[in-house]
Amino acid sequence: MSVRDRARDVLERLAIASATERILISTAALVLSILVGAVLVLVAGRMTACTANEAVYYFGTGFCYDPVLVFDRLFLGALGDPFSGGWSPGGQFSITLRETTLLLFTGLSVALAFRAGIFNIGTQGQMVVGALATALGVLWVSPLVSGVVGTVLLIPFGILVGAVFGGLYGAIPGLLKAYADANEVITTIMLNFIATGVTLYLVSGVFKDPNSPANQTVPLPEYAQFPAVLFGGRQDFSLIALAFGLVAIGGLYYLLEHTAFGYDVRTSGIQPDAAEYGGVDAAKTIVSSLTLSGALGGIAGAMYVMMVLGTFQTGVPDYGFDGITVSILAGNNPIGVGVAALLFGVLKSGTTVVQFATDVPPQLVGVLRGLIILFVAMPEFFRLIGKRVTDAGEKAVATDGGRPGGESDE
Amino acid sequence: MSEATAGSADADESVLERYSSRVLVAGVTLAALALFLVGGWLFPDTILGTFADVLTSRNTLSAALRLSVPIAFAALGGIFSEKSGVINIGLEGLLIISAFTAIYVTYLTGNVWIGFGGGVVASVLLALLFAVVTIEFRADQIIAGLAVWLIALGLAPFASQVIFGGPNTPTVATPGAISVPVLADIPFFGALFSASPSVYLLFLAVGLSWYVFERTTFGRWVRASGENPKALDTAGVSVTRVRYAAVLISGVLSGMGGAALSLDLGQFTGNGPTMVNGKGFIAIVAYLFGNYNPVGAFLSTLLFAGLDAMQTYLQLQGIGVPRQLIRITPFVVVIVVLALVGRTRIPEAAGDHYESGEE
Repeated sequence: MSVRDRARDVLERLAIASATERILISTAALVLSILVGAVLVLVAGRMTACTANEAVYYFGTGFCYDPVLVFDRLFLGALGDPFSGGWSPGGQFSITLRETTLLLFTGLSVALAFRAGIFNIGTQGQMVVGALATALGVLWVSPLVSGVVGTVLLIPFGILVGAVFGGLYGAIPGLLKAYADANEVITTIMLNFIATGVTLYLVSGVFKDPNSPANQTVPLPEYAQFPAVLFGGRQDFSLIALAFGLVAIGGLYYLLEHTAFGYDVRTSGIQPDAAEYGGVDAAKTIVSSLTLSGALGGIAGAMYVMMVLGTFQTGVPDYGFDGITVSILAGNNPIGVGVAALLFGVLKSGTTVVQFATDVPPQLVGVLRGLIILFVAMPEFFRLIGKRVTDAGEKAVATDGGRPGGESDE
Repeated sequence: MSEATAGSADADESVLERYSSRVLVAGVTLAALALFLVGGWLFPDTILGTFADVLTSRNTLSAALRLSVPIAFAALGGIFSEKSGVINIGLEGLLIISAFTAIYVTYLTGNVWIGFGGGVVASVLLALLFAVVTIEFRADQIIAGLAVWLIALGLAPFASQVIFGGPNTPTVATPGAISVPVLADIPFFGALFSASPSVYLLFLAVGLSWYVFERTTFGRWVRASGENPKALDTAGVSVTRVRYAAVLISGVLSGMGGAALSLDLGQFTGNGPTMVNGKGFIAIVAYLFGNYNPVGAFLSTLLFAGLDAMQTYLQLQGIGVPRQLIRITPFVVVIVVLALVGRTRIPEAAGDHYESGEE
């Protein structure tokens, strides 16, 4: 076997090993963060006060919060209690799917940028800008149409407006990185603050709904919002929006894996110098991938306005930051984003159930968000543990698959 | 090899550009200051007069110093970490966790200084986690830094909710101001001599950090660990140890900044981006703009904090620009500065894991 064939063989094995390994690491990271979360719940349960009757006892010590109950509520509650009978599609499960839909778009937004080797922390800001633009655009156009025709026209229009404005807002850090060498981590974070400030100014002033005490725009007419299909309308979830999200997954997968642009993006992400040497226009790739990433964030904003709120209000929840977790958990793979968005959607929707059933604050999910990223970021830790386990049994298989593929040496 | 030399030639070329853009920013700032002062003196009733009043107000300087404290401390910490080769994007998280813990411990013990220590300890522990994850387990430094930020962003309001029943803590005692007699009565500059103890601690920390980098062996090790870890290893110094020490120092310094931030106000507020509100990220820009020099980082922090202080007073003066828009000026300025300074020459080996030959 020639050296070249051997090299290819090793590479192929690495690719398979790394895909399986990725899934294993992500699963392990998820499990580990949930375990740490359980410990946190126990510790928090020691720090708060409750009566002796309310407390639960583990290892002879009383705790105010019961982690078993917490995680029972977190997962089964988020799925709408499928095992206790009386499951209905309009219950908590539809909230889980609603969160999943929004996380799909923010996750894809982050994933696309990460694949190009760009840390887009600004999905949150792009979502906020897209959301306000959608609300204003749809409000402006909605008097022209009405009824079912209105819905059919306004929803694509709203998504388009959100995508365009989110995309333009994403282009700013792209241009700054490509032409002024400004680090995108910092610029996108600063742009998040700016987006919040400017939208607050606009919505508390010019575009404020005079009939509402909150800083929000005039509500969109009913026909400009996503219609509920199959799932009751009470929980602000639309299967159409989710279907659109699944199409987006397929679209991004195709774009990344089967188009010239996708090739440019992937090579720039893996080996920027080599990509540039091979004829990839680095500046153009940076700007276009951040624009597209921003557009996906903007669509998340459009969905939030047209599906969840029915208006734009300040204080948009942290879907953009959650998107970072979703993308990292998914190994920045569009199809993985689908799975990770569902998992994280369960966590997000479950924490509200937990808050009802126990007194554990919903900020718990914020902690889990960070822990998951941290654990996924340290594959070496799991490799070490994995090695311990396999070494004890038999001699390690495919030792080359256990090494990080050429990351450590430059 | 040839690529490496080409890279360094590039760097040499851009040294000129880099300095010229720094000089440009500094020049524009000074020119603007001069314009406001002279213009305000000539036309005291115009908007220039308002600006001049704000600029020469002793309150502006004292507010600028107060606002500098968390940013400058975090920037000093960031310098240590990044010079050693570990990019610490998690400074924001260190500030958040120490700001909360400082208030909590003060609330428990009733002593501000024990609370201050508690904040520092919390920040060091989180920095230790970051160090283990990046140095031991070779995690990507940027992603691990983001994780540190997000963990603190979730943990502080979570703990506050559990302990105090809301994301904001109750108020505790503040350390109060230390006034140097006589000197404190000087107009304008008197603000330097009548300030919170944390401001004096900051002066001390800036001086000490400068001394460590310029005059001590440890400072040289930190620099070598970021620029040429192999050489340091060959010289028999453990790169891993130096990096651990540097990241932990960044934890100590950021912890002091976060504790000072919340204790000076006597409360931790944990809504949205918490009271830290991007100060850790501004700190990163401050040390990049200050070219990794502690004194430079302090001066650029003073520029950002000065703007922040001015906006507070401009709001009070009511110059017709809406409050919400004045509030975003520091963030806009950070982006402009970053775009003008462009790529600073980061330490050669920053961001890379270093594997010494021995296992």
